[in-house]
Amino acid sequence: MKKYEIRYGAVGGQGIITAGALLVDIAVEMENKFAIESPTYTAAVRGGPTKVDVIIADEKIDFPHATAIDFFLCTDQRPYDIYKQSLKDDAIVVVDSHLVRELGDTRHWKVYQVPIINETKVGAGNVVLTSVVSLAVTQKLTHIITYEHMLAHIRHWAPKGTVDMNIKAIEVGMNLIK
Amino acid sequence: MSQRKVLQGNIIVAKAALAAGCDFFAGYPITPSSEIAQYMSKEMPKMERTFIQMEDEIASLGACIGASLAGRKPLTATSGPGFSLMQEHIGMAVMAEVPVVIVNVMRGGPSTGMPTKPAQADMMQARWGTHGDHPIIALYPAFSDEIFSETVRAFNLAEKYWNPVILLLDEVLGKAHMDVEIPEPGSYEVFWEKTHEIKDLNIYDRKLGENPPRIDFFHGYPIHIDSLEHDAHGWPSFDAKTVDKMQKLRMQKIYQNLDDIIKYKEYFMDDAEVMVFSFGISARGALAAVKTAREQGIKAGLFQALTIWPFPRAALQERFKKTKKVLTVEMNMGQMKYEVERIAPCDVEKQTLLRANGMPFSPAEVLDAIKEFAK
Repeated sequence: MKKYEIRYGAVGGQGIITAGALLVDIAVEMENKFAIESPTYTAAVRGGPTKVDVIIADEKIDFPHATAIDFFLCTDQRPYDIYKQSLKDDAIVVVDSHLVRELGDTRHWKVYQVPIINETKVGAGNVVLTSVVSLAVTQKLTHIITYEHMLAHIRHWAPKGTVDMNIKAIEVGMNLIK
Repeated sequence: MSQRKVLQGNIIVAKAALAAGCDFFAGYPITPSSEIAQYMSKEMPKMERTFIQMEDEIASLGACIGASLAGRKPLTATSGPGFSLMQEHIGMAVMAEVPVVIVNVMRGGPSTGMPTKPAQADMMQARWGTHGDHPIIALYPAFSDEIFSETVRAFNLAEKYWNPVILLLDEVLGKAHMDVEIPEPGSYEVFWEKTHEIKDLNIYDRKLGENPPRIDFFHGYPIHIDSLEHDAHGWPSFDAKTVDKMQKLRMQKIYQNLDDIIKYKEYFMDDAEVMVFSFGISARGALAAVKTAREQGIKAGLFQALTIWPFPRAALQERFKKTKKVLTVEMNMGQMKYEVERIAPCDVEKQTLLRANGMPFSPAEVLDAIKEFAK
């Protein structure tokens, strides 16, 4: 890996800014890599289309926005339509199977259609855990961080009384991808 | 050991300010700078330092000026709309020679514009926003380590030269979470040279080009501070000779110390045929573009200004002796390009890449402009 680019697309409130922040924290503080997370959002934070670009690299990162995306996870149709540009030919694409219906031309990508939001609600018990579920999906498909580091960081990061539900969210994420 | 961690750009500013001795913050939170105020509101009370959320940005800078005169190291942070409101007090701080650091995390304008999108369109406002002839210092980091070092430097320069210092950032740098190495205290200079002892009440008197002393007020000396033009003691004076002297003293404390104030970085400039002149977020896209250009055999280089005002004129003029093409890349409709054009000799070709729609220039876009220009 010289440089790996990840983009999360969602509507405001779904937790992708947290997912990006967690990923960058683990990459830098536990794996000693270089990383940057830059969010793009609108004035309508809740309900507006948002994206987060995460770049993880072996060396100092010059430009903080993604320009050749390796991995794209999206949980809503509008951000999917707006932010699917700049994907590499062999990109991994994960979309919420209920909320992203129109995929367009996906010939060059490896696409996973999974019920992220629904499984988070049902399996993990609370939709706010989408951030951790998305993080686990990212780990499983990219191995850009190790499972052990992810688990350790979530245990440490989760607010008091929420560790178990966050660990459950990791399980849900790991099981979403077969 | 310095610590390597992930911090948001705004938080790096706040941490660096505290490391530089900032002990007073007055502000009115505004996107995309709010995290600075938020962090200060949590951390400063723990350190027995003062945080005040003010009613607006005019009052914020007013409070900072007052705190500075009372011997504090003040900071305020804002974005374009708030920066507009602060212009009157910037002039006051210049006139009364009061150290204060003002952060402006630039967003799309004019007016309330685009709160969540980056811009670099307050470059000239930083220079000329307040009325009257005046010296100003403005710094603009681009990378995480520079956000820390330039924030510390902003405080040092303010204290050293008794002048407001504007620290510019943009929405991308303010909001992004990035890896950063926070240096150990003691590994960087913190300038703080205040005195309680005043031999002469003519506190504004000094030789041309000299820094004024940093007086710690409220120690029993009858000192007058005025936004009106004043004499060496601070009393209002419109005497032409006195005014002339005071104007020059204020200007020359900055302009005779350019070596101390001006900082820039050069990448691949030694044999560059095309120079990209840029700063802040645009310099980051430009650096990636210049590296790719080099891989493709194009002799491109980057001149990244860290000090925006005073403009790094001498350093650029030196480069123009050999490099005959300059491409200015900035997120506005053309501001710093005029400074470049003003100083570039006639035999230097000037080109620009300008945009103010909230989209930073990608490396590919800058590369295309370099290639086209290099032909």
